[in-house]
Amino acid sequence: MTTQPKAGTARHGAPPHDATPTSGDRNPLREGLRLERIPEPCTMVIIGATGDLTERKLAPALYNLMLSGFLPPEFTVVGFARRDLTDQAFRDHLRAGIDEYSRNRPASASIWDSFSSSMEYQRGEFHDAAAWAELAKRLDRIDRDRGTAGNRLFYLAVPPALHPEIVRQLGAAGLASSGALHGAGRKGWSRVIVEKPFGSDLESARTLNRQVREVFDEEQIYRIDHYLGKETVQNLSVFRFGNGLFEPIWNRRYIDSVQITVAETVGVEGRGEFYDQTGALRDIVQNHALQLMAVFAMEPPIEFRAQDLRDEKVKVLRAVKPMSPGDVAHDTVRGQYTAGWVAGEAVAAYRDEPEVAPDSETESYVALKLEIESWRWAGVPFFVRTGKALPARATEIAVQFKQAPLALFARAGAPPMEPNILAIRVQPDEGILLRFGAKVPGPGFQIRGVNMDFRYGSSFAVDSPDAYETLILDAMVGDASLFTRDDEVERAWEILDPISAAWAAGEGGSLHFYDAGSWGPTAADEMLARDGRAWRRP
Amino acid sequence: MSRSTADDGALSVHRRLMRLGVAESAVAEPWAERDTSVRAVGAQLARLWAVGEGDGEPVVTEKGLPHSRASVLNLIVTVPDDAAAERVVATMLGLGFRHPSRAIVLVADPDAPGPPLDAAISAHCHDGHDGTDRACYEAVVLGVRGEAARHLSGIVAPLLIHDLPTYVWWPGDPPFADAIFDQLVEMSDRVIVDSGDFADLLVGMRRLTTLRRRSGVGDLAWRRLGWWQELTAQFFDAPRFRRYLPNLNRLAIRYAVPAAGSGAASASPLAGAVLYAGWIAARLTWRRHRTVGPLTNGSLRLSLEGRHEMVDLRIEAVPTDAFAPGDLLSVRLRAFGETGAAEFVIERSGGEAVVATNADGMTALLRRVTMEPSTEAELLAADLLNDRHDPIYEEALRAAAVFLSAARPIEAGG
Repeated sequence: MTTQPKAGTARHGAPPHDATPTSGDRNPLREGLRLERIPEPCTMVIIGATGDLTERKLAPALYNLMLSGFLPPEFTVVGFARRDLTDQAFRDHLRAGIDEYSRNRPASASIWDSFSSSMEYQRGEFHDAAAWAELAKRLDRIDRDRGTAGNRLFYLAVPPALHPEIVRQLGAAGLASSGALHGAGRKGWSRVIVEKPFGSDLESARTLNRQVREVFDEEQIYRIDHYLGKETVQNLSVFRFGNGLFEPIWNRRYIDSVQITVAETVGVEGRGEFYDQTGALRDIVQNHALQLMAVFAMEPPIEFRAQDLRDEKVKVLRAVKPMSPGDVAHDTVRGQYTAGWVAGEAVAAYRDEPEVAPDSETESYVALKLEIESWRWAGVPFFVRTGKALPARATEIAVQFKQAPLALFARAGAPPMEPNILAIRVQPDEGILLRFGAKVPGPGFQIRGVNMDFRYGSSFAVDSPDAYETLILDAMVGDASLFTRDDEVERAWEILDPISAAWAAGEGGSLHFYDAGSWGPTAADEMLARDGRAWRRP
Repeated sequence: MSRSTADDGALSVHRRLMRLGVAESAVAEPWAERDTSVRAVGAQLARLWAVGEGDGEPVVTEKGLPHSRASVLNLIVTVPDDAAAERVVATMLGLGFRHPSRAIVLVADPDAPGPPLDAAISAHCHDGHDGTDRACYEAVVLGVRGEAARHLSGIVAPLLIHDLPTYVWWPGDPPFADAIFDQLVEMSDRVIVDSGDFADLLVGMRRLTTLRRRSGVGDLAWRRLGWWQELTAQFFDAPRFRRYLPNLNRLAIRYAVPAAGSGAASASPLAGAVLYAGWIAARLTWRRHRTVGPLTNGSLRLSLEGRHEMVDLRIEAVPTDAFAPGDLLSVRLRAFGETGAAEFVIERSGGEAVVATNADGMTALLRRVTMEPSTEAELLAADLLNDRHDPIYEEALRAAAVFLSAARPIEAGG
């Protein structure tokens, strides 16, 4: 199977499964409409359909996609889980999620009745081959009755520990092959969406990837990182490659350093057990932070297509210098919050959270200095930090530019000139900010930094789709641009494993404590101060 | 045109438009001046967003601070008469946060006495969806009289934000031959009209087809069709139904016209239906063949030459007060295939529509979807997102004009 381009981009050859003997491979009426390609008829099978993710994210995403007209009329949903539910109870479960979490809510009664009539539920134990065989029969029946043409999208909305078994069962039931014939010589496709975490270290990620690939080809696997579905992350590519101004200065010659911040105000929010085994490095840096860095730092792709984009991203990750234990002690800081105040509310210490070990050494904060050893980035430090119970929620990439070579306007006693900053905010207040020096009116040359601020929300007052809407639609259309490939996942672990290993061996510096509601341990400030730099306050 | 003295007319228009300035969203003291100059208006605009004038404070500011803004476009709105003023006010208020730019509302009358230029300026901010972002814009209302109204570009051009695309929205029936209209077209990147407002639909559509050589053309009647087009295209996304496209042999469109005796008025309610027919015909390369039923009471019937079949095109006006004049009520497409007839139907009922496919001897795919009519502000906002020529519209427009011309009643022809 080839990767298909996104709507509106250059096309290369015919999409693989659309050819029919009597008409061209395109719908002439679709020309000029919002989406030049909408998904082919398909069935989405949600495995683990009674869980939280289905209710909070998937049901609202599907409902909004349907309202916007992005789902084909034949589109069908099958829920698969252990609980004993009727079709109607399953539909009610989805509807409850829409009524509570959808950006369009509550669901309109008659529209919902019509949409939900295409939803079914099948009870089954994940290890019971008979249940999967029954699912296969059901999908064949749906293909006949509803014209879904053998196209299936499996969404694994279950904990990763269950992925290998489920994938094995899908394979055994013949559901993974994208080669089955469905009338008129056409072949349906089969794709699987998996949620992070993709393993907990290189070894487990490799094992997981291998197990999934025993059944599915890499082209059939869609690893979801919802950060990549956000508009701003996509806008970052447009900002870099859709403008002539920025790319020429996007390198070591003009950029002094880059800071990537993923700051959260919340604590572990009831995920104590999971988080205590995971920590900030695995929970955030491995996927969100490194993905942001890769999109920021990658070379221009040959084309804006999944394969090319991911090739470029993985090149960035491969160029990241792995750390020795000595580097870990020098270039990383791990922290854990103690009791404090966030946004006027008292926050208990991390170790006092439910399900967290009272002597836990798990980091709730991490700061790293990474180096990308490429011609473009050699010598430019990438400072990455993420933490919980910080004073503000902010995700941003801030570029600090090099100083002007001569301080023409220096005055005795005046502070040194501020560096120029370009900050790309992912959330909240998605936008781009440029900070530069301006002359304060009056005699002499007093210079002050000013901000030029662009915000998407105040420029394009258009409702942005939720990341899950974007990603599910992409998976149905067969565009994997915004999904993570196996080699990206494995390379990210190769970068981080030495860090966790050094920490675990007690060689990577000690755990630092910080008050909830502060910007992390002072050791993180000292790490930058050694380089003559300071963290931005986003 | 109902107007007392031109001067009073312009004043009452001003009063209506000034409601923009007293709306909740206004963030600066409205400013108004009779008998003013372009230079004074420009100076006032420059002061509008300045914080603490002259003390060196940055005007552009970071998050949460007042009035950070980015500009996307200039919008020039013409107000030919009082009725249009009401409509412009309602639409501009509805446009609200979707329009983070500068609007120049023009009331130009070369024949009116009085001072050549009156101006009023108001500034507005609207909170975005999540309450964090504010979209801001300013509205400049200009009353231009006498000789000055014949030289609008000199008045309007200095007041536009430079380097931004400029859109002209002309509500009502545009005076295509008028010098004022001409000057605005010269200045614009895109002219937005509503062909449903044209007094003579055929003449108006023909003018639009020539206008496109000078400027992009947006048509709110076309925007209204967007959801119908999406639903129609969806029928044929599935390859097994796409093969019916070359074999379509009937297209029946029903649309609303005011019921007899109702107060509702619309100049050309036929616009949407004939544009829809033009769209399908242009995309599927159908050609006019002969007129079966000339235009009578808004209904017409043509025979078209399709790909493999002759196509029976029927457009039927349905008197009703349940829907706005011009709204489509139903679309039916029929084709013959190897396994018998197939029918594709969109039938509107209230704020929803039933969409059905009966083909291949299969269970009919029947769905209920939303069909909320868009406000004029929403249509305008959607059109403002486009900055290019729209070849799909232009082809539909040409086909629509051909159909209208073919269906002209004999006595009105020539």
